[in-house]
Order: sequence, then structure tokens, then C-alpha cells
Amino acid sequence: MADQNKTDTADSFYSEILSPCQLFAARSRSHKIPVRGQKDFLPNDSEEQKQQLQQSLDEHWSLVSEERVERLGSLVKATWIPSEQIVELQTPAGKFWQTMGFSAHGKQYLLPEEALYLMECGSVLVFYKELPLSIQDGYETFLSSDTLRLQQYQVFGHLKRLGYVVHRFDPSSEPSSYARQLNLPPSRDRGGTPLKRKRSTSPTPTSTQSRSHTQTRAESPAEKMEEDNNLPESQLTTSTEPPETRSASSSTADGGRVRTQPASSSSADAGWVRTWWMRDAPERDSEKTSDLCSSAGRSRWDFSAIPFPDLGSRDRSPGLMAAPDPSALPGDLAVGVCDVAAWRHKINLRQVKMSAKEQGRRRWDVNKDREVRRCRNWAEYHELLARRQAKRHGRPAHLWNREVKPLHDPTQPSPTAELLEKISVIKSTHLLEGASRLKGSDEWRICFDVYQPDSVADFKKNNPGKPYTRVCVCSFDGPVPDLRAVKQLAFRSRDVPVVFAVVDHGDISFYTFKDFQLPRDVYP
Amino acid sequence: MEGQNQEEQNQNQEEQNQNQEEQNQNQEEQNQNQEEQGKRLALVVGLSLCDSAPLLWRVQDLRTIRSLGLVGALLGSLPRTPRQNLRLGRPLLLLPEEERLLRENRAAAVLPEQNQDLVGGASREGAGPQRQYEEEQQRSFQEQSALALEDRKSALLRAMTSSRAGSESGTGFDEALQRRLLDLDQNFTFPQSALAVQLSTTRAGLSYCPEARAFLQANWPVRAQDDPCCEARYQVFRDLRGRGFFLTSAGKFGGDFLVYPGDPLRFHAHFIAVCLTLDESICLLDVLAVARLGSNVKKTVLLCSPAPDGAVRYTSLQWSGMV
Repeated sequence: MADQNKTDTADSFYSEILSPCQLFAARSRSHKIPVRGQKDFLPNDSEEQKQQLQQSLDEHWSLVSEERVERLGSLVKATWIPSEQIVELQTPAGKFWQTMGFSAHGKQYLLPEEALYLMECGSVLVFYKELPLSIQDGYETFLSSDTLRLQQYQVFGHLKRLGYVVHRFDPSSEPSSYARQLNLPPSRDRGGTPLKRKRSTSPTPTSTQSRSHTQTRAESPAEKMEEDNNLPESQLTTSTEPPETRSASSSTADGGRVRTQPASSSSADAGWVRTWWMRDAPERDSEKTSDLCSSAGRSRWDFSAIPFPDLGSRDRSPGLMAAPDPSALPGDLAVGVCDVAAWRHKINLRQVKMSAKEQGRRRWDVNKDREVRRCRNWAEYHELLARRQAKRHGRPAHLWNREVKPLHDPTQPSPTAELLEKISVIKSTHLLEGASRLKGSDEWRICFDVYQPDSVADFKKNNPGKPYTRVCVCSFDGPVPDLRAVKQLAFRSRDVPVVFAVVDHGDISFYTFKDFQLPRDVYP
Repeated sequence: MEGQNQEEQNQNQEEQNQNQEEQNQNQEEQNQNQEEQGKRLALVVGLSLCDSAPLLWRVQDLRTIRSLGLVGALLGSLPRTPRQNLRLGRPLLLLPEEERLLRENRAAAVLPEQNQDLVGGASREGAGPQRQYEEEQQRSFQEQSALALEDRKSALLRAMTSSRAGSESGTGFDEALQRRLLDLDQNFTFPQSALAVQLSTTRAGLSYCPEARAFLQANWPVRAQDDPCCEARYQVFRDLRGRGFFLTSAGKFGGDFLVYPGDPLRFHAHFIAVCLTLDESICLLDVLAVARLGSNVKKTVLLCSPAPDGAVRYTSLQWSGMV
């Protein structure tokens, strides 16, 4: 090596080993970098360009070839321990100890990438077998697949030179999702002020009260609904007693109860109510539930043959009412001829004066409607009325009574935002949705935790706190992270954003994915 | 007799002189040979593989590379100002195409990783290099302390002469000066901690011996590059380099290479080269994206494809707007 230097007499300026004289003279080196001027557009063979190029090149070589010279007293000495892939400090650490390195067994240690960075800064001199390591030796021994790859070290160095505090990612330091759910405070805050006791959510007083009221007084409408829902069964199973005795707690009249029935139970009850008169009288005692609606056409009375008394018609009827057929009467009842003349006097038979509209309406007989005549009983007539009303109000049955209903009722007031929500096809999602189900992959791994530079003053290595960001290193030659990889990494990193540092031959670009809400031009 | 002896002596001396002249001539020839050898070997560059990436460490190698028109990328901290990212220092990382070009021109060789003799043999031989290092440090310390003393003396002289300019005292001044200088000689100490130490960037070792390089040239590790897109990239690289352009990587610009008309220190890049094989189909959206990018950064996009006949076909994209 010494011979080589002697032959390179012309380039002694760029020799790799400095003589003591040169080392001594290095004390008065400038610490500034010359500023680069404007570049030219096209090369022409002018002298001026050649000169400028030569000047730039000379400046470039002089900067690149400068060797690091430091005072021995300001250097921290350390040794490389290959068995543990770690650097042990022999002299006390300097200012860098605030953010780098760790203590163990009473000694100070540095991680290989930290040691290499400090070597490049000229703060640490690392020895191996009592000989100093050069930067080249450092790169080749400290960077391996066990410690840190060259690309990862490039990102590490880049961030450290900008001033960030960079640590290796430790997956076990992240609290589990369960711990986060419990919202446990970090254990290091124990020594501080005790936590305020959070007010626990107690059950609402209204629900407890209602439970106590069921036995005593009028219940809430919910309880009432429950009672009403139980009614059909109770009414069916028990004998047909008057309504007052059916449920002991109810105090309102039967009519009142029917009125307060909610719509959901009305159909069952109403169905039951509407058809109770259809059942034949002798069959009432042995009533079966299934026969409720189907008894419409099975009456054994011929109502057209029974003369019902008509006392209110204006026809001159005899003052005597004929005796009814004894078979139409219950039991052994026998009724004779009835003199109804006195009753007829009490009825107001004067003709009512009606307006032209009413006369017209009176002329229209509802029974003349063909559809009405097709109804065989009141249930069907009510259905016809409901259908006609629905059509009139824009809710035709063929649309609304099927499985597939219209999405929106035009008669209902609805804000635009809700409407848009109903017709939206794309549902918005966020990055962490479904991420917990994904299994980890070896290909994409978080490498570093990065903390901001201005926190260096009060940075504590034992309790660094939440990192500013986490970095995953990849290269332009490798695959682009797909959604699965992005979700996995976001899940592993919890609430800290993940930045992809893409290395391309000395250039590093940083990319990150963020949740984003599509804007909606909706005014409520 | 004496005269004869003297003549003999003179003859001997003349012979000696002649021999010495011959020796000088031989040495000159040797020097010339060494220079030539040095020149030839200086053009062979030593690559170090770190994590399978080709790195160059020696300044001489970097200059050789630059003279061949290859730029590379600097990775390390600059020794003068290590805490900034605008200008970086050694090592230099080579593109795979640059490495392959050097290999094909037999201009590079891979150096062994660890200096086995230095590290491995040390424990066996009883700390030979360690002792050498310590001796060097000791020597450096002595030289530096002498230099420091000189420096202090000259500073003292300067200070006293400048203060003398105010007052004229003649011999009294000289005596005072001598006394002060004597004091300095006796009491001056150069502490060990003030010793200036070099943290060398490259490994100074036997691997730079010429014989070792010749040996290594024979064992070039074959790095397989069977990928067709790598082949296309290399063909394009070689062609453009042959035309005198300087090429660097262009990941940030969405292409394969940035093409400079001259040295990147003095010129801006003119083209973004995107390398494709002739039978590769490219999505129209990709063409659109790269054309847009090129127009935004004011560089022309070149679609490059190596043809079967060895030449490379270039197509440039120009954004001309809607017609």
C-alpha cells in the first residue's frame, strides 16, 4: 500500500492515507461546501464549458476525496462484537447517547447501523481486534441480512442526516387491540396523578320504574303493547268472557283498549274482531283459531228469508209486527205479535232537506258499485276500501305489498342526504376495515419508528412515546404494495401512519396512503 | 606503484560509475514499466460487494469510472458536512448496467470482502499489524507534537513582533523573545487527546497489490441477468453510452434512465428513457402517464427498444395538444 502511494506521485493530493503533517494541517480546513452554479443547456466544444466542467469536477473530487480527521480526545472508542452483532463503547458516550444506543450489563452498546452512521459522522472510532475499522469495513461487516440491508441503511442514514430520531421497529411494544379497547393508560404514568374515576353508565331510571309499575298502575305504552299482543291468545284459550275480566291489570274499557292498539297487532286482532260475527252461534263455544276467516260462506242461516223488522222506513207499514219464526230465536223464547205504533211516533220520520251535492251523492248508491257487490263480507269490503285509498295516495298495492318494495315513499319527507344514502351503490370504507382478518406476511415489514427532530431535547429512550411515523423500506425493482399489504401494515402500525420509503439507486422517495372522504355536495 | 594504484582506483571508480549509470538506466526502465503497468492497472477498477450491491470506494476508481462516462450514485455521508443530504460522499453505487459494461470491457474486478491476512492472521502471528498500527500512531504523535510546537513558536513570534512595532526596544526585546521561546520548549506539552486521527474511508490493505488484482481478474463471479427486460435495458444503456450520453437511474421520473448530453455536473437531462422489448405490449394509459410526466418536467420521453439486428430503435413522445 505504501508503494502504491509512492508511485501515484501525481495524485498525492488524493491519497487515501494522510501523513501526520497533513493530519495536523487538517485542523484549519473549511467546513463549507461551495455552492453549485447554473447548468448549461447543450454541450458545445467551447473552452469556457470545458473550463467550467473541469472546475466542477475538481471541486467534486476534492470534496469526495477528503478524509475524516478528528481529534483523538473527541472520538468515542468502541469495539465490534460479531457474536452478538453489536458495538460496545469503551469510552463514555457523547451527545448522541440521548437518542441512540442502549445500556446492558452496566455497559453502553450501539446497534450496528447506529455505529456505522456515527462513524460516518466522525464521532465514533470502532475497533476490531485492536485495529480501527474503515468506513468500508463498517459497511461490509455491519450490514448483512441479519442486521440491516444496504437499502434499509440508506433510508436510516437519510432520515438521521435530516435530524429525525430513528429506531428499529419493535412489534411487541404496540399494545394489543384488547388493551386499547380498555383504554388502559401507559404503565409508565403510574407515578403521576391518579386518574379521575369515570362515571359509570347506570341503567336508566325509566326502565326500572316501568318494571315496578306493571303490577300496580297504568303501564307504559310498551307494556301495554305487550299485553295487547298477548290478548289474542288469551282471548282464544279462555272462554269468551267479557273483556273486563280477561286481564286483571287493565282498567280501561274494552273499547278504549281497542282504540289504543298499535298497528302491528291490529291485523291479528282486527281480523279476529272483524270475523267474530261470522262464526255460527252454536259453534262459539268450541272455537278453533284456524276457522276464523274461512267461515265466511258457511252460515246455515238464509238471511234473505228472515224478515227483519224495519221500523224506520217511510213505507206505511202496519202498526203490528208479525211474530218471528221461533227457530230464529234462541232457546225457548217465544215472542208474540208486537204493537209498534207507539214506537213509531217517537221516531222522527220527517224528510231531511239535502243540498244538491248530497242529493247527488245520495243518488250514488254504494251498492251499485260492481266491485263492492263482489265483496262477500265486511273484511273484503274493508280491503277494497284500503286498496282504493292506497291508490289514491300513491301507494298502490302491487308495489308496496310485495317482497321487493320501492326504495322510497314519495309522500314521506326525506332529506337529500338520506336519499343519496339510499341510492348509493359504492359504500365508503376505511383503510383498517377487514384488516384484522389478514394474516401477516414476510414480504412487507415495518422497519423503523421515526420521531420528529424537535423532540430531541426531551426525548427519553426508555419511553419514546408514540412515533411520528413508521417506515417500510422497499425498492422500485420490487412489487408495488397491493391493498392487502397496505392494510396489513396499517393494522400492524395501529394509529401511526405508515410511510413507504422507496429506494432507487441512491434516490429515496416517500409515499403514504391516507384515508380520504369523497366530498358530497349535499345541503340538508 | 602509487600512481598505478591510483589509476586502478580511478578505473575502478569509473567502472563503479558506469555500473551506477547502468543501474540508473535499469531503474529508469523499471520505473517506466511500473508506470505503464500502473496505468493499465489503474484503469481496472476494484468493486466491493456489500449486500450484493457493487460499490466503489477508492477515489482513483471513482475518477476512472467518470472518465469512462459512467456516473453512478454516491451513498454515504460527505466527510466535510455529514448532516445533510444534498451532497453525499463515498461509496459509489453502480447501476447493474454499468457493472455489466465494465465487466464486458474487462475494466473491473471484484475484491475480496474481508482482508483475511489482516484480520485472520493477526491472532496467529502475534499481532503484527496491531503493532504496526501502534508504531504509526506513536510516530504520528511525535511528528504532530513537533509541528504543534513550531506552530506555537511562530505564533508567539508573530505576536511579539506585532507588539514590538509599537515600542522600539532593540536587544532587550530579543532577550525577552529568547526567554519566552525557551520557556515554550520546556513547558510545552502536546496532549494525546489533541492528536489528529484519520478515520479512513477505504480499506488500506494488500488487496490493492497489483498481483492480487491480476489474480482476481481470472475469477469474475458470474451474476446471472436472464431477465429479458434487463437485457433490453442493457442494450439501450450500451447504445446510448456509445453515443456519448451520460445515464443515471430515473425511478423518480417514471422511466428507466435519465439521459444527459454531457456530464451531469454541468448539464440538465434531456430525455427520460423507457426501455421496452419489441414484442412487449404497453397499455395506452401508461404511455399517457409517462408523456404527461415528461411534459411536466420539460424532458422528452424516449421509448427505446433493441432490435434483433443489434441496433436500438428510439421513439420520442411529444405532447402537441388537441387538434
